Amino acid sequence: MATKNVQLPELGEGVTEGELVKWLVKVGDTVKPDQPVAEMMTDKATVEVPSPFGGVVKEIQKKEGDVVEVGMTLLVLDSDATAGASAQASPAPKSAPAPAAAMTAAPPVAAKSAPAATAAPGQMDVYPPVMDSRVLATPATRRVAREMGVDLNQVRGTGVAGRVTRDDVLGSGAGAVSAGTPSYAPGAGVSIPRPAYQGPAGAIEERVALRGVRKKIAENLQMAKHIVPHFTLMDEANVTALVAMRDELKAAGEKAGTKVTYLPFVMKALIATIREYPMFNASIDDAAQEIVYKKYFNLGFAADTPNGLLVPVIKNADQKTILQLSKEIMDLAKRARDGKLALDEMKGATITVTNIGSVGGQYATPIINHPEVAIMGMYKIQEKPIIKRAADGSMALDAIKTMNFTITADHRLIDGAVAANFLKAFIARIENPGVLMLDMM
Amino acid sequence: MAQSFDVVVVGAGPGGYVCAIRSAQLGLKTAIIEREYMGGVCLNVGCIPSKALIAAGHFLHKMEHNAAEMGFTIPGKVKLDMAQLQKWKQSVCERMAGGVEQLLKGNAVTIIRGEASFKSAQEISVKTKAGAAESVTAKNFVIATGSRPIEIPGFSFDEQLVLSSTGALAQSEKLESAVVIGGGYIGLEIGSVLSNFGTKVTVVEANKALLAGLADPECVQVVARKLKKNGVDVLLDAKAKGWKKSGKGVEVTVDIGGKEQVLKADKVLVTVGRKPNSDQANLKGIGLAIDEKGFVKVNAQRKTNLPGVYAIGDIACQPMLAHKASHEGVMVAEIIAGQKRAYEVKTVPSVIFVDPEIAAAGMTEDEARAKGYTDLKIGKFPFAANGRAVSLMETDGFVKIIADAKTHIVLGVHIVGPEASNLISEAALAIEMGARLEDLALTIHPHPTLGETMMEAAEATLGHAIHIIQKPLGGAGKGTTPRAHA
Repeated sequence: MATKNVQLPELGEGVTEGELVKWLVKVGDTVKPDQPVAEMMTDKATVEVPSPFGGVVKEIQKKEGDVVEVGMTLLVLDSDATAGASAQASPAPKSAPAPAAAMTAAPPVAAKSAPAATAAPGQMDVYPPVMDSRVLATPATRRVAREMGVDLNQVRGTGVAGRVTRDDVLGSGAGAVSAGTPSYAPGAGVSIPRPAYQGPAGAIEERVALRGVRKKIAENLQMAKHIVPHFTLMDEANVTALVAMRDELKAAGEKAGTKVTYLPFVMKALIATIREYPMFNASIDDAAQEIVYKKYFNLGFAADTPNGLLVPVIKNADQKTILQLSKEIMDLAKRARDGKLALDEMKGATITVTNIGSVGGQYATPIINHPEVAIMGMYKIQEKPIIKRAADGSMALDAIKTMNFTITADHRLIDGAVAANFLKAFIARIENPGVLMLDMM
Repeated sequence: MAQSFDVVVVGAGPGGYVCAIRSAQLGLKTAIIEREYMGGVCLNVGCIPSKALIAAGHFLHKMEHNAAEMGFTIPGKVKLDMAQLQKWKQSVCERMAGGVEQLLKGNAVTIIRGEASFKSAQEISVKTKAGAAESVTAKNFVIATGSRPIEIPGFSFDEQLVLSSTGALAQSEKLESAVVIGGGYIGLEIGSVLSNFGTKVTVVEANKALLAGLADPECVQVVARKLKKNGVDVLLDAKAKGWKKSGKGVEVTVDIGGKEQVLKADKVLVTVGRKPNSDQANLKGIGLAIDEKGFVKVNAQRKTNLPGVYAIGDIACQPMLAHKASHEGVMVAEIIAGQKRAYEVKTVPSVIFVDPEIAAAGMTEDEARAKGYTDLKIGKFPFAANGRAVSLMETDGFVKIIADAKTHIVLGVHIVGPEASNLISEAALAIEMGARLEDLALTIHPHPTLGETMMEAAEATLGHAIHIIQKPLGGAGKGTTPRAHA
């Protein structure tokens, strides 16, 4: 009887473990190749783990709630017991070249690193891969690299005879090894103290492991607060016209099958304003000591989910209509709440909007989603009386609708006056939503 | 009532006990299970006792061969009390093993004595000498159960006439003659000891060379010459077919290139290698993946296919060396404690305690070429040109360095000669640090020491050693004439 182990594949860059949320199969079930077998919650998202091959579930090795490391066996399949997928050497149709001799094959997503150094089974690869024998780095430098998650095989050594120095590793930025996606790594020496908490003796307290999404939120926000000198500017906008316009379009939206909220209008006004102030759509690459101006507009929006704060991203939001934005917001927000977002749907935002108004609250001082340099806050709509002065000097009370906005910016890049002008330009647009037509494309 | 731990280490050898201590240092609740000796094979029937006997043999050899030249007169023949030698050897082992136990206790590691058998990846049962079985559960298990001597067909160890290394190290009477099957490092180490004690030794080796694949061939030549000089017979390309009792001793039949020959001896020692103990402790029963050579399959973090189960040392992979096991032990404890670690070394230095000693770090010439270093610089410096070696009357051997000709990075160092074992660590450090020949040559080495040979060998590799004539300049150690200096 041939059995095969289904292991937790690599779930994404820097993800080393996940919490088993739910089994989708049970012992005795027949599994087809590529069929999802479990739901795993990583520090970024909940993902479904597919089996790379078919078979009958013989043994389930993990319990719901277990923390599983990449490479650990989730379940054992009896591959003889299934028709069609019986041959030992028949990997799943789409699978990458599986280690033929190994006792198990890694699911297709894991085809990333393949150090040939040890005789270890391929699916138990360590990330970053072990240093090649030709790379020159001292044992202490190797340790720093491993602790930072830097792949020494990818770092260009600046030392004598191509030695990778300690500075080379520190300068390469933790995890800056991914190809493709840009990484605006913080410079060397970001160390955050981890003081212990000791409660008063006898106090009733409960301790829960800090992990998953909550752990990632904690790390990201602490990092952002550590690196970025924040400041926040607040102002009030008269959104009477916006409310009227949105009410008008609401019905049209419903006809098109979506709910039109205020968020897409704010996004459109924000993009138009960023085009005038490109430093709001930038990052600081601390390692390279460079400012990176982004020529694309990916808008993140903060979503409150049962698992915690997630920031789904609308890619190329400048190229989408209000209707398209509305649909995408609805879709992303729902899947964020259900824990079904893909990892790359939460990556690559260039600026973020946080809509606290949908819950309540006058003002907040949000934290920037590093490596972005600004976050806009929008708050609840209120009806307010104002004094209206007529041409003849007479005064009368009028009722208007107002909404508060804040812009929180990275003071290293953005001066106070610039932010004030930015907010003023934004409010001018949101108060006269008609002018957004001028920016339409 | 089952005891429960964060970490349970199975086996208290140089991998296991080190792992347990580091694990406890890191605040993990740790236990160690040992069925036989604290310190494992290494401290009790391997490295340490063999070195004690080697030291004694060396001492005797010096008295018999060097003392007179230095002016000593030893009336009559030096007598050796084998029983006292065993007693002294045992005291060395007990002192070391006692030290291990104290260290474990001092670090609050729970010591459980008995034979372990896994029930699952989370539970192990330990049968004590008294026969009681105790159940122990743990979040993490570290398998460090080591290896044992390989038996060959027809030569089952009875430790009376057919000895393993364990039995050979425990002889309390002098043997007149012995046949050693296997010319690897254990066979030659023990064979040399017996020879020093006056036993007529015949080594039977199946390969065409001694220490095949274990050491630089040039280094082996020096040792082979010395063995011959000391009266050890070496039969190469020879296979042991069987043995029978003959009087009080044995008759061993060997096949040398198709011709049978019968060797008579007091005892036969079989040292053809060691195999992992993966057939024990029910490792297979819990589904642990084991390769065709019997090693537990592990990755660069010594994780096995079962979550929470690690394997280190001889049971995990080659090389089967105590210092590799200890390095892995520390590493795995740190990984369990949540630190980011992997087995990421450039070299595991190796030492063969024959006469003279052989030690190596890094690549051999063939290995370097196989790795794609086409252009090599190779230099040698002989101990005959080293003042300290001459005054010790131990001038056989040399230090040989292999470096990349383009970058002068040191790739391998091979030493045969006095104290090679104590000299090799500098080479290991050089290789780990990515040192160049100049780094070794320009580091001042104290005079007069054996260590100077490392500096001089680096100079020789660069083509300009001071204490040998290198002509023409740039010659890679060829045509060297040693000149001892004061």
